[in-house]
Amino acid sequence: MDTAFIILSLITVAGAVWAVTLRNLIHAVLSLVLFFFGIAGFFFYLNADFVGWVQILVYVGAVAILAIFAVMLTHNLTAEDEPGFFSLRWLTGMAIAATVGAVLWFAIRSNAAMSQTAPAGVASNVADIGRKMMTDWVVPFEVVSLLLTAAMIGAIVIAMEQISHRK
Amino acid sequence: MTTLAHFQILASLLFVIGLFGAVTRRNAIVVLLSIEIMFNAANLSLVAFWRYSPHPEQLSGVMFAIFGITIAAAEAAVGLALVIVIYRYYKSIEVDGMRSLKG
Amino acid sequence: MEPATHIPWIASHLWLIPLLPFLAGGVSALLPRRCRKLSAGLAIGAIGISTLLSFCALAESILRGLLPHAGRQWSAMQTHEAWHWLTEFTWFSYGTTSLKLGFVLDPLTAAMATMVSFVSMLIFIYSLGYMDRDKNFTRFFTFLSLFAGAMLGLVVANNLLLFFICWELVGVASYLLIGFWYHRPSAAAAAKKAFIVTKLGDIGFFAGLLWLYHATGTLQFYTPDHTGALEQATALAGLPGIMGLSLAGTIALLIFCGAVGKSGQWPLHVWLPDAMEGPTPVSALIHAATMVAAGVFLVARTYPLFQASPQVLTLVAWIGAFTAIMAATIAIAQNDIKRILAYSTVSQLGYMVMGLGVGGMAAAMFHLLMHGFFKALLFLGAGSVIHGCHNEQDVFKMGGVKKHMPVTFWTYFVGTLALAGIFPLAGFWSKDEVLTAAFNWGGGWFHKGPFALGCIGVFLTAFYMWRQVCLVFLGEYRGEKATVGHKQVGHEEAETQHETVPGVPHESPAVMTVPLVILAIFSAFMGFSGLPEHANLIHHFLSPEHAPHHVNWFVIATASALAFAGLGVGHLLYGVKPLAADEPDPLKAKLGKLRDFCRDKWYWDELYEATVVRFANIAAVVVDLGDRLLDGVTVGMGLLARGLSFINDKFDEHAINRSFDGSCGTVRLMGRCFAALQDGRVQSYLRLVAVAAALLAFWFFLK
Repeated sequence: MDTAFIILSLITVAGAVWAVTLRNLIHAVLSLVLFFFGIAGFFFYLNADFVGWVQILVYVGAVAILAIFAVMLTHNLTAEDEPGFFSLRWLTGMAIAATVGAVLWFAIRSNAAMSQTAPAGVASNVADIGRKMMTDWVVPFEVVSLLLTAAMIGAIVIAMEQISHRK
Repeated sequence: MTTLAHFQILASLLFVIGLFGAVTRRNAIVVLLSIEIMFNAANLSLVAFWRYSPHPEQLSGVMFAIFGITIAAAEAAVGLALVIVIYRYYKSIEVDGMRSLKG
Repeated sequence: MEPATHIPWIASHLWLIPLLPFLAGGVSALLPRRCRKLSAGLAIGAIGISTLLSFCALAESILRGLLPHAGRQWSAMQTHEAWHWLTEFTWFSYGTTSLKLGFVLDPLTAAMATMVSFVSMLIFIYSLGYMDRDKNFTRFFTFLSLFAGAMLGLVVANNLLLFFICWELVGVASYLLIGFWYHRPSAAAAAKKAFIVTKLGDIGFFAGLLWLYHATGTLQFYTPDHTGALEQATALAGLPGIMGLSLAGTIALLIFCGAVGKSGQWPLHVWLPDAMEGPTPVSALIHAATMVAAGVFLVARTYPLFQASPQVLTLVAWIGAFTAIMAATIAIAQNDIKRILAYSTVSQLGYMVMGLGVGGMAAAMFHLLMHGFFKALLFLGAGSVIHGCHNEQDVFKMGGVKKHMPVTFWTYFVGTLALAGIFPLAGFWSKDEVLTAAFNWGGGWFHKGPFALGCIGVFLTAFYMWRQVCLVFLGEYRGEKATVGHKQVGHEEAETQHETVPGVPHESPAVMTVPLVILAIFSAFMGFSGLPEHANLIHHFLSPEHAPHHVNWFVIATASALAFAGLGVGHLLYGVKPLAADEPDPLKAKLGKLRDFCRDKWYWDELYEATVVRFANIAAVVVDLGDRLLDGVTVGMGLLARGLSFINDKFDEHAINRSFDGSCGTVRLMGRCFAALQDGRVQSYLRLVAVAAALLAFWFFLK
């Protein structure tokens, strides 16, 4: 474990924990932005530069902004009636999370391949990714573009229905 | 030296945090954000696998991560749009209030 | 096996044959309702090209299978072995195994594909005329194309799973087409009945499929390295199965369940006559010529499994023979022109199944192919008559149609003689082959049973067909000549028909009669492809590894004599003195109670009502009780009492309603118990999913 890994881990875990626990929604979204940056940092750390930039552009640039808009459009800046720390709801959630976490831990621990260290000289450049995307991955690529179109049209249609209702 | 297990355990931890948020919080926006955290944890895991894989030139993990981000973006757009519509309809975004799935 | 280098073009492009109708169906599904010509043109064009390709496949197969031997003695072919042209592809792979699908071109495929596509094409063309006025014309052609694609896919499949997928698609298409006039309650009920009854058989089929995969590790019928599921049949015959059968026998029996459902064999025959609620071209296409033959084709395709188990073959033969005779007796007492033909179809399918059971695979397939032609002809002829008689389906309200509809009459006449098995039409040769196979089957009186039943069936077939011809075409018109307009059978059907002079039958347009004439020509002459003994091309083609039967003059003489006797008796009763209007069926006086028994279809529906449906209702109560006991903490006693009274209420309703709703009720009640888990909150679903996934993973690790 080196220093960069430890710092990035602290940033992401802290961002994630704040994002799911803070009452003030704006603060939660801002913690989420911190978390997204941390993940992007990990991508750079792992030599996946392109994914890192996409992460920043898409998540920080788009999803987080969208989330803030959603918070403001719903006039819901603070979640007032969230249950307390020791409520049944939190305990249930923790129990479920602990169960899933235990399974994941068990799976990772029982796999010998997990203890290997990083091979040197592994990098991804945009040219390779572009080439792959247009050859081996062209079908998923097209499917995803269709999906994005559908999502865009879907979001617009949802909004337009509301407009026509208001008239 | 950082091993693959470190990354996977970190990704699992983030995933579990996201899961906790998704099953615990009542606010639909926070639930969606928690799901985004889970997506990111999965992407981190995929990229780490790619970094440590014997055939990194295949770029499989990177491709999965890119597609994952794309789909998550689409999901977030539609999901948040739905949250807004639900708010207009119910005047609330408490997930407990939405029970029309009950058969 | 042919080396891979010799595979001809058509064998490696066999997938085009089912794909084209599927595409046509898909495109016309998206067309707006007004694009009538475009959708019909697409459907007919696609099936036309498929027909051409099928003919190519047939020609290649004939070149491969027959011609190399044409110069030699016919007897040289008797030791020739079976051959297949295969193409396969991987659908998906998991770990080290992969699921392969594929297509096969062998004589069976070639012959069946040609018959199916050709008959389908003629029926498509005929539908242009018949459905002319229907406002859902586009939808009709969409469904027809879907059906044709699924059926052809089933024929060319080299994989039991692909076969099963197409088989179920055929079932769906059949459901959609029977219920085409869905606003008519009887049509909706018939569609539901057909779907549910055939599904009962499909459960067996699917179990057999899974078991076969478990036992052999593959679902390919044939593979290039001879490890296909069918090529392991002899090995399976050595392994133990259930009920004292070998493993091959068990699987064959389960697969036969599917065939029983689809081909309308006893005890699952009850859906087929009800399926006549669909438009007549549908009856002709699905419930006479092609789909119901799929069950017979399934048995023929997996025949090696059946051959490995004599006990199952015996059962198959007896079920076929019993169905043949039972349906024939029912057919003699029906009044509805389409129902007579429907029971005749059940009976002829019984012959085919009997032929399979007695070891005559080629004979059964020969009869299937010939039957496809002449039964399609008869149904289309019946449709033409119904069309011409203003939607009258009761044969006692027809009569004298001959002089109004000459083309329909003469083609119908040819079809009747072919079905009755009169020399030298198609039915004579094919029925003779089946009966000879039955005659040669084993020794002892037990093995002569199917033959004897088959012979009685020949007499009955000739009788009921001649009865029908006399009632419909000869004598004087008994319809409601005086009344203005026609009977209002249903709005849709009324819309499909031409408004001409009310009361007088009229000939159908050329688009309907030309297919009739073509089918009549085929019905008349196709039989010569299966002359007995050495000239039996069909037999050499379909089953080259077995020698054809010798000419058996006893069988030929018996069958012909019985067929003529049937025609004669029919003529004595109905032809000599034509019936006047409102005169009762002369058969009533001759047979008395026995006729009522036949007319009421041996009371099978009532029997199922009293047993299966009642059982389902009782089972619903029992299952519900069990569920509620387990769920007792959350579901209080009050709810229990309410549930029981609810079931009582339902029980009464179903006993009166006499429908298959009972089995649906079970599902609904179980669903109600599970509904307690669903409180409508997304987060509780998510919790359940997370916990369940974790538990599954734990179980996976610990295993």
